[in-house]
Amino acid sequence: MSHEGGFEPRRFVIGQFAGPEAMLDATRKMRERGHKKLDTHTPYPVHGIEEALGLGRAKIPTIVLCGAITGACLAYALIYFMNVVDFPINVANRPIHSMPANIPIMFELSVLLGGTSSFFGLMALMKLPQPYHPVFEAESFWRASIDGFFLSIEVPKGQSPEAVAAELKSLSDVSIEIVEESER
Amino acid sequence: MASTATSASTTNDPLEPIPLIEGAQTDESLNSSLLNHVWRLPGKGWWTLFGLALAGLGLLVVGITVTLWKGIGMWGNNIPVGWAFGIINFVWWIGIGHAGTLISAILLLLQQKWRTSINRFAEAMTLFAVICALLFPLIHTGRPWFAAYWLMPYPSVQGIWPQFKSPLVWDVFAVSTYFTISLLFWFLGLIPDLASLRDSSKKPMQKVIYGLFALGWRGSGRHWAEYKWAYLLLAGLSTPLVLSVHTIVSFDFAVSILPGWHTTVFPPYFVAGAVFSGFAMVVTWMVPARQFLGLKHVVTLKHLENMNKVILATGLMVSYGYAMEHFIAWYSGSQYEFAEFFEVRMRGPMAPVYWLMMFCNVVVPNIFWFKKARTNLLIMWVTALLVNVGMWCERFNIIATSLHRDFLPSKWELYAPTWVDWSIYLGTIGLFSTLFLLFLKFVPAVAVTEVKELRHELAHKAHGHAEEAHG
Repeated sequence: MSHEGGFEPRRFVIGQFAGPEAMLDATRKMRERGHKKLDTHTPYPVHGIEEALGLGRAKIPTIVLCGAITGACLAYALIYFMNVVDFPINVANRPIHSMPANIPIMFELSVLLGGTSSFFGLMALMKLPQPYHPVFEAESFWRASIDGFFLSIEVPKGQSPEAVAAELKSLSDVSIEIVEESER
Repeated sequence: MASTATSASTTNDPLEPIPLIEGAQTDESLNSSLLNHVWRLPGKGWWTLFGLALAGLGLLVVGITVTLWKGIGMWGNNIPVGWAFGIINFVWWIGIGHAGTLISAILLLLQQKWRTSINRFAEAMTLFAVICALLFPLIHTGRPWFAAYWLMPYPSVQGIWPQFKSPLVWDVFAVSTYFTISLLFWFLGLIPDLASLRDSSKKPMQKVIYGLFALGWRGSGRHWAEYKWAYLLLAGLSTPLVLSVHTIVSFDFAVSILPGWHTTVFPPYFVAGAVFSGFAMVVTWMVPARQFLGLKHVVTLKHLENMNKVILATGLMVSYGYAMEHFIAWYSGSQYEFAEFFEVRMRGPMAPVYWLMMFCNVVVPNIFWFKKARTNLLIMWVTALLVNVGMWCERFNIIATSLHRDFLPSKWELYAPTWVDWSIYLGTIGLFSTLFLLFLKFVPAVAVTEVKELRHELAHKAHGHAEEAHG
């Protein structure tokens, strides 16, 4: 295969397993053998996947905390600026600045920014929307959202995908496909 | 894939839990049975209902057009009844929405497994109910395009900002936050299901459309690890949010000094009432929907019974709220409060609404003390419908009845809604039904991914138990 313009397609070895346990087991073993770019594809979250893939702590909670704190501070600042600095409304000489009246909107804005940062932070971390990914090239990959359990390994440049496939095959009874990124 | 029977017990042991998923299911069979109604062409029943819903939507368009063209004078509002159908319907709809958040968020945090089959359905209901609710505060201002500056803080040459000490401004923030978060939560839960729709679609066009909405989801383990946290945190944020929304709605009334409004019991009692009416609305729609969509194996009688138990419990809380209102009206020694509760509401010109409310909200839900009633489809459907009526009457009572007899008899005025009021109200029911029927057609009504996960979990547990028993 020749590729114009220096495009070097990424190559993946994709194995389909009979169930989540076999997949977890193979993932763990492949990682221990030094494979770096592993990923699993399952119709629902499988218990123990973080440990098998060797993932660190999730980043979302920190992002949400920052969003929520920003929301609360922003609300207080907005209300203070609008009702105290820029446009004070004197109602029967009641205090212009009154903390308790700010609490409801501080709460609402911290939820709003916490919630939106949870969603959009997640999208950013997952790099979605991303309509195309090389793993979709696999014939049987449509099952990944239905009832299939897959392990995909990105083969580094210079290594042969066949060797990685053989290695995976030696670990577990698995049906394997080798796919290549298509040039768009 | 080995199929696992989740209905483990064949005996009628009363201590044996009733299965949450009926029959021997695999991921594949769940996938096809739960997505089937999306692929199937809608039947006569759907088209009939959709026609009715569109007719209702037409009424809404007429009502809103007349209101905007001729002005708010086309409504039955007067002074002192300045808030009537607009706010009654707003509170009614927003309350209905709350059950969805309760089911999806609070039951998730409490790890109630029965929520899985009904959460998508209830969340969709939340979204559509909040859309209907949001319409009312907008159009009740008469000229919404002039209302923006005292509702939303936006910089303009007028140099005016909203008064942030007003609960009405809090309300704007609460309800719009509620809508945004509910939408994100619902869509986040939907992404994996949209991917399964993409992957099991037969026609290229469907594949493209569902593929676009699925955002390229590929079930990646690295994604799931973060996804689970995002979903859980959105649930965690939604839980206090839902309480805050109805609390703030109740502040709209409770911080004023009008007899019948000026009570500290309002926040908890509004929240209980919201959950009460919301669950009733879920049952009203779920009973026919599970029949027609072929969802009986995942939305079992146990689910319906549990919802009926929640209706009973929240109904009792609402009854307690009524009791307290009346008690304090007497105990406070305020003649205005006493007159409001014991004369105006019970014997005034709008007394029939009061007694209908008492019947529907205090008497009727007690039928759910009986298991027969909790598990009979017809009885629960009628009861749920009556609860919806009762909760609407409650808001009418709080708003119109309290307003039409305030401190000075010289200010008293009767209130009657006009045809425009009724058109807009019935029209929002049409809008809600239209959106809901479209949802039932195009999106899986049950969270397929979560049901598969639950099946896996239950199978795992059953397997563990079997091993324990053998060992």
